[in-house]
Amino acid sequence: MKRLLCGALAFCFLLPFVLLLAGCGKEQQKEVLRVYNWEDYISEPTQNSDGTSENDYVDLVAEFEKEYGVTVEYSTFGTNENMYNELKINPGAYDLVCPSDYMIMKMISEDMVEPFTDDFLQNSTYMRYASPYIKELFEEKGWTKYAVAYMWGTMGYVYNPELSDTVEEDLSSWTGLWQEKYASVATIKDSVRDSYFLGVAAVYRDELMQLKKEYETGKLDRQTYNEKVTEVMNRTDEATIEATKDALLQLKENLYGFEVDSGKQDMVVGRISINFAWSGDAVYTMDDAEPYFNEETGKEEPGIYLNYIVPEECSNIWFDGWVMPKGANVELAQKFIDFLSRPENAVANMNYIGYTSAIAGDAVFTEMTDWYSEGEEGDLDEEGNPLVPYDLNYFFDGTSDGEYEDGTYFIYVSAESAKRQISAQYPTEEVLARSAIMQHFDDATNAIVNEMWEEVKGLPIPVWAYVVIAVIAAGIVVIALSYVYKGKRSEPKPKKGYRRETN
Amino acid sequence: MQSLHFSRKQLCIPYALFLLLFVIIPMLLILFYAFTETVDGTIRFSFANFIGFFTSTAKLSTLLMSFTVAIISTAACLLIAYPVAYILARSKFRRKNVLLMIFILPMWINFVLRITALRELLDLIGLLGSQNYLNTIIGMVYDFLPFMILPLYTTLEKLDESYLEAAADLGGSKFTVFTKVTFPLSLPGVISGVTMVFMPSMTNYVVSDTLSNFNITILGKLIDQYFTAYDNWHMGSMISIILLVIIFLTMLATGGFKDGDREARGANLW
Repeated sequence: MKRLLCGALAFCFLLPFVLLLAGCGKEQQKEVLRVYNWEDYISEPTQNSDGTSENDYVDLVAEFEKEYGVTVEYSTFGTNENMYNELKINPGAYDLVCPSDYMIMKMISEDMVEPFTDDFLQNSTYMRYASPYIKELFEEKGWTKYAVAYMWGTMGYVYNPELSDTVEEDLSSWTGLWQEKYASVATIKDSVRDSYFLGVAAVYRDELMQLKKEYETGKLDRQTYNEKVTEVMNRTDEATIEATKDALLQLKENLYGFEVDSGKQDMVVGRISINFAWSGDAVYTMDDAEPYFNEETGKEEPGIYLNYIVPEECSNIWFDGWVMPKGANVELAQKFIDFLSRPENAVANMNYIGYTSAIAGDAVFTEMTDWYSEGEEGDLDEEGNPLVPYDLNYFFDGTSDGEYEDGTYFIYVSAESAKRQISAQYPTEEVLARSAIMQHFDDATNAIVNEMWEEVKGLPIPVWAYVVIAVIAAGIVVIALSYVYKGKRSEPKPKKGYRRETN
Repeated sequence: MQSLHFSRKQLCIPYALFLLLFVIIPMLLILFYAFTETVDGTIRFSFANFIGFFTSTAKLSTLLMSFTVAIISTAACLLIAYPVAYILARSKFRRKNVLLMIFILPMWINFVLRITALRELLDLIGLLGSQNYLNTIIGMVYDFLPFMILPLYTTLEKLDESYLEAAADLGGSKFTVFTKVTFPLSLPGVISGVTMVFMPSMTNYVVSDTLSNFNITILGKLIDQYFTAYDNWHMGSMISIILLVIIFLTMLATGGFKDGDREARGANLW
């Protein structure tokens, strides 16, 4: 019996390897595309524990393989820096990677990426359907030749509007988080770049508000305004870093904590009420927290409606985009980008990831209308107030295949809903005017900013910690001294009447 | 067919290879990274990381914090584990292995899962978010308690009862017997347990991150940051080396390298 059991166990352990070997043999010589992407960043069906997959999300990679008769080797990374190191160690190991904005800048500046072909720049599906806003932005920054956008968004606060009467007003400034009344209800990102941004925004609040005023009164045009905000937000001089450190240390005392990924869940269960979040995560959080109708039980499940706000001073516009590392299979990589740029595939990705695709087009707008529209122009919401138009023309104009006309890209929503998912999914033009791209810092600056962040994370040390260390140190000294003392003490003299044993 | 015969030397080859591949080469690599720096894409020898560590307020305070957390966790573990191990070892219960297993059982569950569960539990009690230091220490103690119980149990179990009887015969009270006989004889177990708990408590940042909401930074976290977030393997390696030296010194101080008597060797299994 025992032997049988051992045999069965051994079989179970070996089975995967045997299957793997068998699988290798069958593989035909197909062209291979090696894609390196973020975890959970492409539509794929949910895997069941028994190895089968659900029929819930489109398997984009498999569809691409089928359509073009190629093999895709798909692997994932967790941070930009990991990805970068992997590329440095293994040059030429990937055909297509998906870093964030600042890492793309760094890679372009280090001449690590292949340019797109002229044909791609003129006739590709990406160029046809990518949002005019995104294309303009890339053109302006000079990245068009090397990178295409995949997902994009802003940064802001997700908050529970019932937290206090003035919460919306308070959080219309980044400094709202510093207020004592929001002690222990908010989290920010445990990431140096995002938190540095938040600190700088708080430090230069007055200057930013002055710029905004000048823009609103017409003294500054949109582009100059945006450039000035970008300059302020990318300051890394000594005084800025010092002031930011103080601001963040002050903030730390007021926070519930930092988070990497737990912020979403903590918001949903109500453990915290304000979260400094990327817009994509904000959509996810709001979706998850909402009351919803449970089809299985036929009951309305309770929940909370959360809001998203981009404070008045500025925001950070971020994006992740595809670049082809040197030595890539350019032809096939471009085909993959084009495949992902079909509006229906962009919809599939948005459904799965929850972030906003850089692709516009009819299918995307139809889906958005489906998600968010609450009626037509002139309709009333539940409380009898007219619906407000949410203007998406800046994003969709010129990408239609005939279903929609330019200038008609409005989604009608209630005033309340305009503060929720849709505002995170697509920022308004007004928000974009004050949204800065965070540059990539050079190595020396990076080191100083990181050191600043370490201090924010590592300080202050509570007094009792010093006490513990002092007690331990004293203990060690006492023990050491006692050893020394013992060593010096001579052999005790025999007591009277005690006779030494002698042979 | 000639029968296969391996000499002792030949049998050592796989182990030597293993040591070379997974111990010596990685250590050399860490040393190499620790004492070099990358400037404009070229790597060169430098003490910059070493000096950088000892001149940085942030890193020194992290070191201090790690020390404090580790010392308190170890002391708490010892205070909890000793009575448990003592009772288990001395009990007349026929199946005390079952009892012991109950204490070890949590080790069979993935520890990230346990810590996540603990986070929910602490939230329920109301400690999460307000008592960051306490939570971290609770987490460390919860996580490393079995590592303290096991060596203590092993030494106490093997303790020759005739020593205790002799001590009692000579008029020692229960307390005296414990302080003069039992405890000194169980010291190898204590030292072994302390080493097993103290070292990982300085670096197990999953616990501090999860339970303090990233408010407490310990050395392990710092190393992780340098490798994954700051893209600076040199400083990361230097911190690892410094940690290594600290652990080495602790081992030296507690006599962990001595080829001890039988009891000590038995306890050092863990």
